[in-house]
Amino acid sequence: MKIDTTLPARKYKLYATWKRDMETMNLPFPRDWSHTDFKLPQNWREIALKKMDEVVNKFRSVKLFLDICVKCGACTDKCPFFLGTLDPNNMPVARQDLFRSVYKRYFTLTGKIFRGLVGAEELTEETVELWYTYFYQCSQCRRCSVFCPYGIDTAEIMIAAREVLTAIGLSPRSLTEAIAKCETIGNHMGIPPAALLSAVEFAEEEIKEETGISIKVPINKKGAEVLYIPPSADFFGGPHWGTLKGVIKMFHQIGLDYTISTYASEGGNFGTWLGYEHMKKINRKIVEEARRLGVKWILGGECGHMWRVIHAFMDTMNGPLDFLEEPVSPITGTKFKHAASTKTVHICEFTADLIKNGKLKLNPDANNQYIVTYHDSCNPARVLGLIEEPRYILKNVCRNYVELDPNVNREKTICCCAGGGLLADETIELRLKAIRPKIEAIKRTGANFLACICAVDKAAFTEYAEHYKLPITVGGVHELVGNAIVLD
Amino acid sequence: MDVLLFIIGSITPYIAFFVLILGLIYRVARWLSIPVPIRFPVAPAPITYTGVLKRMSIDLFAFGSLIKGNKKLWLGGYAFHIALAVTLISHIINVYFHNLWEVIGYGWYEAVLYSGFFFLAALSFLLVRRIVLPNVRYISKISDYLILILLFAIVFLGVYMRSFGLVDVSSVSNYMYSLLTFNPIPPPSNIWFLTHYVLAQILFIYVPFSKVSHLIGWMLSTTRNMRNITRWRRHVNPWDYPVEVLTWEEYYEKFKDELESIGPGGERR
Ligand code: HEM
Ligand code: SF4
Ligand code: SF4
Repeated sequence: MKIDTTLPARKYKLYATWKRDMETMNLPFPRDWSHTDFKLPQNWREIALKKMDEVVNKFRSVKLFLDICVKCGACTDKCPFFLGTLDPNNMPVARQDLFRSVYKRYFTLTGKIFRGLVGAEELTEETVELWYTYFYQCSQCRRCSVFCPYGIDTAEIMIAAREVLTAIGLSPRSLTEAIAKCETIGNHMGIPPAALLSAVEFAEEEIKEETGISIKVPINKKGAEVLYIPPSADFFGGPHWGTLKGVIKMFHQIGLDYTISTYASEGGNFGTWLGYEHMKKINRKIVEEARRLGVKWILGGECGHMWRVIHAFMDTMNGPLDFLEEPVSPITGTKFKHAASTKTVHICEFTADLIKNGKLKLNPDANNQYIVTYHDSCNPARVLGLIEEPRYILKNVCRNYVELDPNVNREKTICCCAGGGLLADETIELRLKAIRPKIEAIKRTGANFLACICAVDKAAFTEYAEHYKLPITVGGVHELVGNAIVLD
Repeated sequence: MDVLLFIIGSITPYIAFFVLILGLIYRVARWLSIPVPIRFPVAPAPITYTGVLKRMSIDLFAFGSLIKGNKKLWLGGYAFHIALAVTLISHIINVYFHNLWEVIGYGWYEAVLYSGFFFLAALSFLLVRRIVLPNVRYISKISDYLILILLFAIVFLGVYMRSFGLVDVSSVSNYMYSLLTFNPIPPPSNIWFLTHYVLAQILFIYVPFSKVSHLIGWMLSTTRNMRNITRWRRHVNPWDYPVEVLTWEEYYEKFKDELESIGPGGERR
């Protein structure tokens, strides 16, 4: 595999967090700084090493992964950011090595004795610059882990490594701006309650125009059976809009007793990509809101990293959720046993069950103008293993469904390259390079509708399609469900 | 010379052996002492223990993950590990259970020699690939080459000795038995054997401190050894800590007018 040792990706750096957001979020060392001038605190090295020691001893996986990588190279050509840039530091193992070499130097016997011989390196300001650059060129998609003989997961090392960066005052605006809004207003988009109401009313009007049916979406309704949590992008329009409408129509058809919330109007969780504390904080509101409203269980919408958190972290961080009930579909009676503890069901699991039991009145011809293909986003595929349900739904709501190339599909999917905090204007050039193999694969299918179940996917692919002049509509699986729903 | 023979024949073998065993035990204990705060297997992951056992067996016996991503490396790596396993097993038989060959058949004893050539070929492949492929060269540290060279030297000397009958296996066997009873006799003072032997001791000592500890470490890999039951059974994080959030009450105060415009108490039914 060719590499480009001039490090062509080194120039792509996320912009610095605003001082005011650092203050709002209580981040260390609030100050005016930029991606080219870090203005590190005086004792940054000490702080960084202390934090490194801490994270390595907090996550078994991280220490293990740092210790056992055999440098076999199997992961090197699996990262889209490497394939797109040929920058060797974007090879997953090299990305880890930026962290590992410092770990070796200060925390292992061989590193302390043999130094460079075993790849141990001093922690310098240049290291920090490389860290900030390349640790934020990882979307934490876990593709590399699939192919590693030991399952070494760069994403987990990055979670730890970013905690170290945050400790010395370095975190990108692309994350913190949204997190600060979420923690003070209720969602990443900064949509206040009245605006959220208008969005919902607008969707209701559109549905009325299209179908003649008037629907009233319950908001903050106490005692509803189900709390529905979408990513806030769904209220915002664009490629997300169809999903919101689709879900509203579907809930209406089956007569679900549900509510959405303005307080917990964000399913997404940008905290995931910054560190444990803010991930927990953002997720906490969902749990508190479910408690306050007295719902029985939670239904989660189309969002990738939201589901990383709900599936893998929510119960651990903010549970036990024993004030809720084990989820049972009120329409089909199906018990969602796999969600017995977290009490949260994925909308695709819910819908697939409805279809399987013949409870949805659908007209797949409504989607006949589309040749649909499905993009596995990294979290549903590699964190949940939610691979069949969306496909099952799609095959039932449209007549022309095609699969992508198996090399970039299912658990081997190439992600949208915009997760992990990379959804920012300043990285667009990088992302366009990284997404290329996926775009080529989409082109080869001849599809004109790309169905996704993640808000970041929808935003990113809309951008990519425009740039690559790909004649394709990007939307949610539930947008197509919505089209096929027959309301009378 | 006698002193040197005494040291490498009667002292360092014990050191090497105990460093290997205790070192690996320490290594594993150290990993185990660190909590697993989250359940985060890489999906699609099994939900039963049998499923996990199957997944990990495929990784162990077939290098299942590796074959998905790199067929050439899989072939070379697999050949290398098979040769390694054959060599380890046949060494144990050779030195401690020599009579077993009669049961197994001397044909197999001959075959082991050829597995040595096979071993050298596999090692050469790994080494050449590490030097030639730009991406693998970029991630290789000096120690990554040294371990392969060390293994190559050990295996080469072994094959060389055997091919030309340079060492008497029964005298080695006697010596190895004497080590077991903590009453060591001097090892055969054959330069080929002694070099082979010392290098092997160095390898033993190196294993627990290096990446070769993957031979046990892979078992603890949390992306592979956990069941995907995260929403079904709660996983507890021992170092979890509380966080402060904007409460509903604070939120309500902040957006009172807007919320009331939605409905009384912010409710819309
Ligand atoms: C799940 C089981 C295992 C897998 C998947 C695995 C895989 C690998 C891989 C991919 C390499 C890299 C070769 C290279 O390019 O340099 C390697 C090296 C090596 N492995 Fe294993 N291995 C496993 C178990 C073991 C065991 C049980 C041993 C114990 C004797 C072992 C000993 C070695 C040694 C000595 C090396 C060469 C040194 C090195 O390059 O690290 N491995 N292994
Ligand atoms: S997790 Fe994804 S983005 Fe990060 S190094 Fe691995 S393949 Fe690349
Ligand atoms: S595939 Fe795994 S063991 Fe091999 S170099 Fe990559 S991280 Fe290391």
